[in-house]
Formats: sequence, structure tokens, C-alpha cells
Amino acid sequence: MNVLNKMKEKIKKLVPARFTLKRKKKPLAAKTPVAGFGKEMPSFQETVVTDAKFSHPEPSRPARFMQEELPYQYDQDRIVLQVRDPRWVHTYWELRSQTIDRLKSRLGDDFKRARRVLRVYDVTNIIFNGSNANSFFDIQINDFASSWYIDTGHPGCSFCVDLGLMLPDGRFITIVRSNVVQTPLDGPSWITDEEWMIPEDMFARLYGMGFGLGRSSPVGGAWQERIKQGIFSSGLSSSPVRKELKERGFWMKVDCELIVYGATEPTAKVAVQGKPVNLRPDGTFTLRFWLPDGKQHIPVKATSGDKLEERTITPIVNRETR
Amino acid sequence: MFKGYLCLVLHGHLPFVRHPEFEDFLEEDWLYEAITETYVPLISVFEGLVNDGIDFRLTMTLSPTLISMLGDPLLQERYLKHINKSIELAAKEMERTGWQAAFRDLAQMYFNRFSHARDTFLKYNRNLTLAFKKFQDLGKLEIITCGATHGFFPLMDTCRASVRAQVKVAVNHYESIFGRKPNGIWLPECGYHPGHDEILKEAGIRFFFTDSHGVLHGSPRPKYGIFAPVYCKGTGVACFGRDLESSKQVWSSIEGYPGDFNYREFYRDIGFDLEYDYIKPYIHPDGVRINTGIKYYRITGQGNNKEPYVEQWARDKAASHAGNFMFNRQKQASYLNGLMGKPPVIVSPYDAELFGHWWYEGPMWLDFLFRKIACDQDEIRLITPSEYLQENPRNQVITPSLSSWGYKGYSEMWLQGSNDWIYRHLHMASQRMSELVKIFPAAEGLRKRGLNQALRELLLAQSSDWGFILGTGTHTSYAVKRTKEHLLRFTRLYEELRSNSIDEGWLADIEHKDNIFSEIDYRVHQ
Repeated sequence: MNVLNKMKEKIKKLVPARFTLKRKKKPLAAKTPVAGFGKEMPSFQETVVTDAKFSHPEPSRPARFMQEELPYQYDQDRIVLQVRDPRWVHTYWELRSQTIDRLKSRLGDDFKRARRVLRVYDVTNIIFNGSNANSFFDIQINDFASSWYIDTGHPGCSFCVDLGLMLPDGRFITIVRSNVVQTPLDGPSWITDEEWMIPEDMFARLYGMGFGLGRSSPVGGAWQERIKQGIFSSGLSSSPVRKELKERGFWMKVDCELIVYGATEPTAKVAVQGKPVNLRPDGTFTLRFWLPDGKQHIPVKATSGDKLEERTITPIVNRETR
Repeated sequence: MFKGYLCLVLHGHLPFVRHPEFEDFLEEDWLYEAITETYVPLISVFEGLVNDGIDFRLTMTLSPTLISMLGDPLLQERYLKHINKSIELAAKEMERTGWQAAFRDLAQMYFNRFSHARDTFLKYNRNLTLAFKKFQDLGKLEIITCGATHGFFPLMDTCRASVRAQVKVAVNHYESIFGRKPNGIWLPECGYHPGHDEILKEAGIRFFFTDSHGVLHGSPRPKYGIFAPVYCKGTGVACFGRDLESSKQVWSSIEGYPGDFNYREFYRDIGFDLEYDYIKPYIHPDGVRINTGIKYYRITGQGNNKEPYVEQWARDKAASHAGNFMFNRQKQASYLNGLMGKPPVIVSPYDAELFGHWWYEGPMWLDFLFRKIACDQDEIRLITPSEYLQENPRNQVITPSLSSWGYKGYSEMWLQGSNDWIYRHLHMASQRMSELVKIFPAAEGLRKRGLNQALRELLLAQSSDWGFILGTGTHTSYAVKRTKEHLLRFTRLYEELRSNSIDEGWLADIEHKDNIFSEIDYRVHQ
């Protein structure tokens, strides 16, 4: 499981927690240091907090709420490449059935034995013409895939991808070619501007400061490590094998409220514990109190509209919690 | 002695959520909560500072979707209804908690706060954008724009016409509201892709922000790191890099301020805590429990036991945290000044909705911070990017790096297994929009309405908020609905426009529902 999934797990634990009473069992992320990583990166906190902007449960929606589906394809031959981070790029594609049919008839038996392949070209600093790539590698995919994440392994380089067929004799046939993308650097550039030359050590200190690591840290190394761990991880390596004690989820909460209600002449005035109370048009009234432990005297006094008569009734309530 | 500048930035944004077709729509509460808990408290802070003659500078994004919602009569009416109910509930709470003084005081606090929110809302003629504009006109606030609907630009790079539309629609909208063009932009999610500065330049924008590594990993190396802006090579648009140290102080789970035990606990809301029949009129009509905004507890500690919130303690903490933040910036500025031989600019951006909504005491903290900076020291000076560039026009020229402020710093938050399916459709819609603009370079009448609406639908589908919610993997159905709904509306418009068979009744219906950007001109999408 990679870092992002871990984070999602955490958010899942934390965020929906607020939608039910169970949330009390889980303290929120921002306050509880939990073993693991990413937690100290502002972006993790921001993810949790930004998510809080969208804090809601899902009510049941009427049927007309969800509509028809989006098309599966758009009847085009295309492959699109985009950058995820300094190492990884993402590609998606679609092929028209006519295109497949044409290939079938052209290649005959070879088509059946051919394998679908993504050919990833390194086209850094060149104008790619199909045969002048700095290097390339192939990824075998299945016939049903329509998107792929590719680990290029090379920050700061340019890539282009062909979706094609690898024939049994080793020939590669391009079906569609993608746009070119450039991955960002994952560290500072080696290019330094002459006019703005800056001593290495001073830049390093500025660099460290920039990542909030203070003066003692020469560069943002720790931060770099985090990024790399997250990105390099394909398997278990990114999750430190450390079992957290699982909190048990059982809980209970009890509280008491008291409802005081009554009725009198609609024109009368009523006071409860000395405070005036609004009567409904029919002369009834209801009050609701959060009841603390101890004894409560609740004098209810009614005065007739002409102020000639009075009645007082005093319920006495004792709450004791054990 | 003056050592350096501090540039505080609040990014205010909510996605466009407006459903006239429903009587009551849960997700509209995002706006109502933000008005009560964030926007009104911030406006009150600014008012107080101006009344007391305290000079301050703050840079703030008001995203075009947010401005549109704040100015929408239907949502204004609904907010009034919402805040009236909140006031009613707070009044009931004052009665119910009458035997428990600590809680009674808190119910009173909320009653006052909600009443104040309503008063402020009405005072500014129901449109809080006017309040923010007032402080911009006073020279205290620099309001910058954002992508029209907060589309994540790096993942729109294969269809730059859409990036251009996001920027131009935003700039035109800003101009119609504020009477001048914006100087700066907050790239949605701080997402920068090299080359997009060309589009910013075309639109007359002079500066934007990136996360730290956007500048630090730019090429050639930035001489002053993130402590001076750089100009983008080829365009001269200025780019300010975010300072992570000051961000961390606010965000970090260990030394971050909002986690202080005296601060208010976000997760304990009476909408969830109180007896069902009593709270029912104030939660969702479906009976689903939701936040009411009345929260009685302080964070208290790590465990589940929560103690009642004490306003004065929280206030004292906010003051001391503001002092701490200022002290650290003074030290940082002074250290950097020595290193750089010139005053650094420390750029500290935050999500505006952090203040007040998540971190209840955030606006108060900001208030203390502004007052302390104005009165207690002379080493750091608050500044807006426009002022900085005026005073320091000479800066290094580099190409900043692809970056965002999302999780892990690039595009992964919006491009992963749970949300990558949207791009196939979004990109196709962009391509089709460009195609429509080519076919109809000067449409009029019904066709023009259809084209304008097609662009509205495309922009609404592009909001990064949907991808973000899909990425977190919780309560995703609304994000799925919105993505599909706008794409389907777009596709139908595309087909009807191509076959010259626009269904005017249906068009009028979606114009009524998705009524954002009334002045939109579809031709910006090219």
C-alpha cells in the first residue's frame, strides 16, 4: 500500500468519523501524532482541513438525482499523456473499432499473436520524429486496459508514448502516438545563472529554510526522502511494519433532559423559575431542560389575565447518576 | 529596524453549489457555514482594525465561483433562512442549558455570533463581496482572482484553450465586480505548469503563487530561494514561492496552533450530540444528522473526554499564538536578511476556510497578529505582492517547476485510481468546445446562448473540488453527480449545436440552474 492509500485510510477513519457518534472514538488527525509519515507535511493537514470544507453525510437522494452514464468512448483514435509527479506519468487511450478491424485484416494471423504494448520514449531535448528517441522501453498491457501509470524513473525529462502492437517477429507497429510531456525536477536545478551566481553553501541554507527545516539542516533532505519513499514504493516498503494498537470501538453515552409542560388560560401569564414563558395560542406551554445531577425546584406560576388570581405548582426533580 | 516583509495570503474558495430545483440542498450548507464561520468573522476583524486605525495588508483570493454564490439572490435568500434557524436554535439552547452555566454562556455566545452574522450580512446588502471590496478600496486588502471554476491547470495542459478560458472568464468576472482588472491570481490548488504564465500574461495578470518547490526546483536556480519572487522566463509574470516554515506553524500536528487543547473542538456538534426529536427541525429534512455550528467543547486533550469550551482561555491562547508567530517571523526575517543581504519576503498562504470554520479562533488570531505587527515591533512589515513588486522591481528570471500544494506536491491528489477516469471526458469536452468555437466564430441568438451555456457546463465540470472529493474517497456521490451532470449537459449541447437542433426549453432550464457567469463569452475558449 502506498502512502496515498495510507493517507486515504486515515482520512476515511477521521473524516466520516464526524458523521456518526462513533467519531468520539477517533481523535482527529491534526491533533494526534500517529506513527507513519506525511503527517508533518502541511499538504497532509491541508487535505484533512480542506476536506472539512465538504463535511457532510450523504442523504438519500431521489431517483431522478442520478442521471445517465457518460459514454465509454468517443469514437476516436487517441492517446493522451500527462504528468503525475517527477517520476510518474499517466496515460489513457481509446481506439475505434474500425482501426482494430483494419489492423486485423492487414496483419492476419499475426494480429492474434501480437501483444499490445506501450512504448515509452525518452525525447528529452530533441524534436521527436519517431526514430530519434534518446531511449525507450516497452510495457506490455492487456487488450482491455485503457489507461496506465508509468514509472519513468527520470525527473526533468521529456517523454512520449506510442500505443502499438508487438508482433511475434519482434516488429513494433505504432497505432497512436501521444503528446510529449516533461516531468519536473525533484530537486534543485544544476543550472545556475551566471549573472546571479550564488555560493553553493548559501543556496543550501536558503534551500533548507525554504522547507522549514531550520538552519541546522543543510538541504531539504528529509523532505526529499519523503517524496521519494512515497513515489518509489510499489509494495510494502513504504509502510513501516509497526502495528498500532487498535482502539476498541465500543462506546455508550447517556444524558437526561427534562420536559416541563402544562396549560392554563390563553390570556394568563406564566413564569417558570421566575422567568416568563411564551404560551401557545391554546394556552399550553413546553420547556425543555438539560438536567444536571442534583435537586431542581421548578416553580411554575400562572397569573390570570386580569391579574386577580395566581396558581403555583412546583415539581421537584432529583437526578442522580451512578 | 526593518528586516523583511510578510505576505499573508488567504485563499477563499468554494465550488459552485446552487440547486434551485430542490427546496433544501445539503451541499449548499458549505457556503452558509463559511459565511457564518469564516467570511463574516474576517470582515469583522477588518472592520475592527480600520476603526482602531491599525494599518494592515492582506492578500485574499475570492474565487469567481465564491463571488458568484455570494451575489446570487436565491442563495442569499436561503442563507437568511439558514441563519434565522441557527439563531432560533441558539435561543432554544439558551433555555435548555439554563441549569448549566458553562453551557448557557456558550449558547449565548453562539446566539450573539449568529445574530451578528445576520446583521453583517444585511448591512452589506446581503452581498459580502461588497464588504471585501470596501477593504480593497481602502488599500488594506488585495483581492486576487482564481481559475473561473477552480480547474486544476496542470491536468488541463493538453487543452490549453480551457486554461485560457478559466483565466479569461475569471479576469472578466473580476473586472465586472471590482471595476478593475486583477493584478494577481491564485492558481487553483497552487497548480502551476510551465508555460501557463503565457496565458496569465495575455490576461494582464502580473503575479501568481507556487508551492516552495515550484520556485526552488525551477531552472536556473533561484538565487534567493523562495524569499524573493522570480519572473517567469519569456513572460515576466512574477511568481512568489510559499514559505513552508510559517505554514507548518499553523498546520503541523505537533507544533501547529489549531490543535491547542484550549481551542474549540470541531467534531463535537450538537447536531450529532442531542436528542433526536429535539434537534430534528435543525438538521437535514431527510433526518440525517448534520453540523449545526453549535459546538460546546474544547479539544481538551488527546482522549475522548471533552470539557466545555472557555472563551477567555481560547482568546488568551490566540493572543499568545499570534505573538509566537510574529516572533518567529521576526527571527526568520532577520536571519534571512543577514544571509541574503536584502529584505526577504515571507509568503504565507492558507485556505481561508481554515480560519473560523475549522480553526474557530483563526480570525481572532489574525486580529491579534495584525495588531501586534502594527504596534509591537518594527522588523517585519506586512505587504501585498503588488506593493512588493513596485518597491522591488528587479528580480531573477527563471522557469518555475511544475508543482501544486496538494498532497505530495504535484498532481497525484487529482490523478489517482479513484478520479483518473474524469480526464478522458473532460479533455474530450475541451476539445469539442474548441471545435465549436471554430465552427461558430460569431454566433448570435439562440446559438450563442447554447455556446455560452456549453462553456459554463464545461467550466463547472472542471472544478478541482470534484476530483479532490473523489480522491479522498469519502462521500463521493455528489462529486460524481456534478462531474457527470455537467459533462452530459455539455455533450447534449454539443450535439444539438452541431445538428442545429437546440431544444430551447431545455436550454432555458439549464441556464436557470447553472446560471453562473451571466456575461460569459464562449469565444474565450481558444
